[in-house]
Amino acid sequence: MKLSGIPYLLKEGFRNIWANRMMSLASVVVLLSCLLITGTAALVSVNVQALIAGIGDDNEITVYLRPDCNDTDSLALGAKLSAIPNIETCRFRSRKEVLASYQKTLGDNIYAAMEGEGNPFGNEYKIRLQDLSQYETTVTQIKTLEGVDKVSDRSDIAEKLTRLDQFVTTAGLWVVLILGVVTLFIIANTIKMTMYARRFEISIMKSVGATNAFVRIPFMVEAMVIGLLAGLLSSVVLIILYEPIRQAASNVIGMIRTATLPLYEVWLPVLLSLSGIGLLIGLLGGAVSVTRYLNKEGGAILGT
Amino acid sequence: MIHLENVSKVYPNGTQAVKDLSLDIADGEFVFIVGPSGAGKSTLLKLLIREEQADSGTVLVNGHNLVTMPRRRVPYLRRTMGIVFQDFRLIDKMTVYDNVAFAMRVIGYSEKTIQRRVPMALRMVGLADKGKRKPHELSGGEQQRVSLARAIINKPSLLIADEPTGNIDPERSLEVMKMLCGICQKGTTVIVVTHEHELVKQFGGRVIGIEGGQITSDTTEPLRYPITKKAASFTEPKEGLV
Repeated sequence: MKLSGIPYLLKEGFRNIWANRMMSLASVVVLLSCLLITGTAALVSVNVQALIAGIGDDNEITVYLRPDCNDTDSLALGAKLSAIPNIETCRFRSRKEVLASYQKTLGDNIYAAMEGEGNPFGNEYKIRLQDLSQYETTVTQIKTLEGVDKVSDRSDIAEKLTRLDQFVTTAGLWVVLILGVVTLFIIANTIKMTMYARRFEISIMKSVGATNAFVRIPFMVEAMVIGLLAGLLSSVVLIILYEPIRQAASNVIGMIRTATLPLYEVWLPVLLSLSGIGLLIGLLGGAVSVTRYLNKEGGAILGT
Repeated sequence: MIHLENVSKVYPNGTQAVKDLSLDIADGEFVFIVGPSGAGKSTLLKLLIREEQADSGTVLVNGHNLVTMPRRRVPYLRRTMGIVFQDFRLIDKMTVYDNVAFAMRVIGYSEKTIQRRVPMALRMVGLADKGKRKPHELSGGEQQRVSLARAIINKPSLLIADEPTGNIDPERSLEVMKMLCGICQKGTTVIVVTHEHELVKQFGGRVIGIEGGQITSDTTEPLRYPITKKAASFTEPKEGLV
């Protein structure tokens, strides 16, 4: 293959895209949707994993006291809690402080109505364990104490998040697989249509001795550009939407802000991986279509 | 140039297109292949360009054994040939110049070489002033001449014309045939498949009749090349193409 012909064939690839623009656009849109879903699933997954890791680091447990447990009883309970060997620190939060922490969420009117006798919260203790592996035993000990309503920690959230992560990963994989096949089909079809529209050119190329590799180049370029374009566009969309979505999620669950990954950590991997996947799908779809065409009708020069 | 020995070809649908056919064509010969539809003419051409492969026998073209030739070598065989199609196969969106240049570009010639050779080829077929036109702005005869220029641009040693006058009027047919004769006289082997017996009679040369996939006649007369003003202008430039 003479290299001097390559620039011409690359140019032809770009020309194909424009000449076949409606089908090219359809391919870009379908691939873009597929990559957006893929990218979203991947971002949710890495952020859920970061959240789980954050929860693991922050092993604070909340001991909720019954609302009828008054301050004196609560303080006595605090002493009993501190006496449990596995409890490292024990911090008291009065029911007033607990209600105050919800003031912003509840709004001033509701907050005002709940103050004093209307306060539904009880006092609570925030405790940290020395040895997390002794978690179950320690919690059982705490629950036997008089005045304890329930013990909450984030291990159940971690479990739920792990399940969510598994769901996101599994569902994401299926969606990507199905959309991947659809996209491959669409790209392969676009290229097949281009090849059919240019069958004369292909027969001329073959008649003057162009190698299959040379005939392939413009069509492969077309498929790869479609894939790359979809990859770039989807990563740009995700990068633009990432921070607003993260912010919105933080408004619902405060710790999302601190535990999830900031944009500067994700934008480059998102850009590179989605562009790479787009390019790969384009390459694959193009290769399947071009090879099939050249092995069948594309081999004909003189026709029937 | 061409040596076929006991060549047979049966298509998957059971049609025996060529049956035990033997044929020799020497370098620089001008050969008409005639016969009714379905006689096996097109299959014979397809065997020569290795679009189809013989089931049995020997097919030698330009020193290549096409029966044993691996598929990846076929493009290099075709670079020694030029093909003229009945339907011209010109690309409408390209200019005449680009249609001819296309045959060089796709096998990787440099733009410098293309710029030097395409005007020469267009001059040879009498279309030097029509390089910027689009194919649909030309007459059928002119379009076939563009196709001819494209076929000779890569300096083939064998030129195959499949019904080259099938889509043009008799006067233009004569013009195209004269050009093919001119190319042959420069040393290129020319094979013309045609239905037009009158044209064949007018030009003479070697005429091979095919029917039922077999050669039914093979006669040779001196090639008559009626020189006209246009054909006389069909002279080789300083650096010849054919």
